[in-house]
Amino acid sequence: MKKQYITIKEYCKVRKVEESFIIRLEQSGLIEIILIEEERCIHESQLHNLEKFSEWHYELEIGTPGIEAIHHLLMKVERLQEEVQHLKERLNKD
Amino acid sequence: MAFVDYYKILGVNKSASAEEIRKAYRKLARKYHPDLNPNDEKAKQKFQEINEANEVLKDPEKREKYDKYGENWKQSEAYEQAQRRSSSRSNPFSQADSGGSYEYTGSFDEGQFSDFFEEMFGSRFGGGRQTKFRGQDYHADLQLSLESASKTHQQTFTVNGKNIRITVPAGIAHGQKIKLSGHGGEGVNGGPKGDLFITFHIHPHSQFTRTGDDLTTKVNIDLYTAVLGGEIIVQTLDSKIKAKIKAGTQSESKIRIAGKGFPKYKKENKYGDLYVKISVELPTNLNEQEKKLFSELADIRKKQG
Repeated sequence: MKKQYITIKEYCKVRKVEESFIIRLEQSGLIEIILIEEERCIHESQLHNLEKFSEWHYELEIGTPGIEAIHHLLMKVERLQEEVQHLKERLNKD
Repeated sequence: MAFVDYYKILGVNKSASAEEIRKAYRKLARKYHPDLNPNDEKAKQKFQEINEANEVLKDPEKREKYDKYGENWKQSEAYEQAQRRSSSRSNPFSQADSGGSYEYTGSFDEGQFSDFFEEMFGSRFGGGRQTKFRGQDYHADLQLSLESASKTHQQTFTVNGKNIRITVPAGIAHGQKIKLSGHGGEGVNGGPKGDLFITFHIHPHSQFTRTGDDLTTKVNIDLYTAVLGGEIIVQTLDSKIKAKIKAGTQSESKIRIAGKGFPKYKKENKYGDLYVKISVELPTNLNEQEKKLFSELADIRKKQG
């Protein structure tokens, strides 16, 4: 399967976001940047999260540490929701 | 169609400055944004109301019109026409200006503003800079039997009235999620669509227990096969195979049959292993001859001691 990469420059130009914001996301471990021929790129699988983080940042004015905390909590919420669902299923079976 | 109190929605006074409105909006948007409230319909609806209120109050022109007519929005067009026709400075609606407020409780699809908004300001796509938001991500559950999870197959299901057909690759795990980009809710103000996440729930099987790509099944064998060894027929998920039992096999021991487990996810022709848990059944209701022979066996063992 061929992997698709998008250059950060291209993304920033199309989406009108600052490159420094994406670098900060990478430094926080929220997205992964890969250097291809000395060009900073992201894999297409990261796009969903990048779009989401950009929206939180530019539309909701949430800083990178806030994004990091929210992302972490959301994953926790998701896990808990799954657990609730699983327990509900078990309860219905009994 | 009810009047919508945009000031009340954003929790600001009628005299609020543009900066105060912006702050109030951001604060509420951070609280009710669909991304931050997964699977929460109430939050989604609230967010839509906040967004609509912001759309009107952040735009000086719209805010002026809203402030001017407020609850008398139905007359706004007629009034403006009357104003164009005459230079009279009297306001025929000044009497009704201090009426009570109404709470908006209508519901709407994501991406749609209230009828009140459409009526007063026309389509929200009519112009001006608007904040674009990605549509909400949808989450759906799909129930599968262990047999169907073991085969690549098509599944059709309905999400928000739309039929969606997907290919489920063999080997999908219980609780695994797959994402269908752009199959979520409509974006707000022309923003991109959200994604659809499907979580798979695989029903427990009466005969097989799945651990990762491995399957475990239970087989009862008689004492003689356990002691002397032999062959048994083992049921796999889709066929039957012969397995050898070594002489002296203990009850509760496990036999591993390589490559006869569950298919590995997205790895063609690769399978986990099948573990067969052996349970040895002891003979009951022995006749006299059997008892005699077992006694002889016991004596031989004792002598070997």
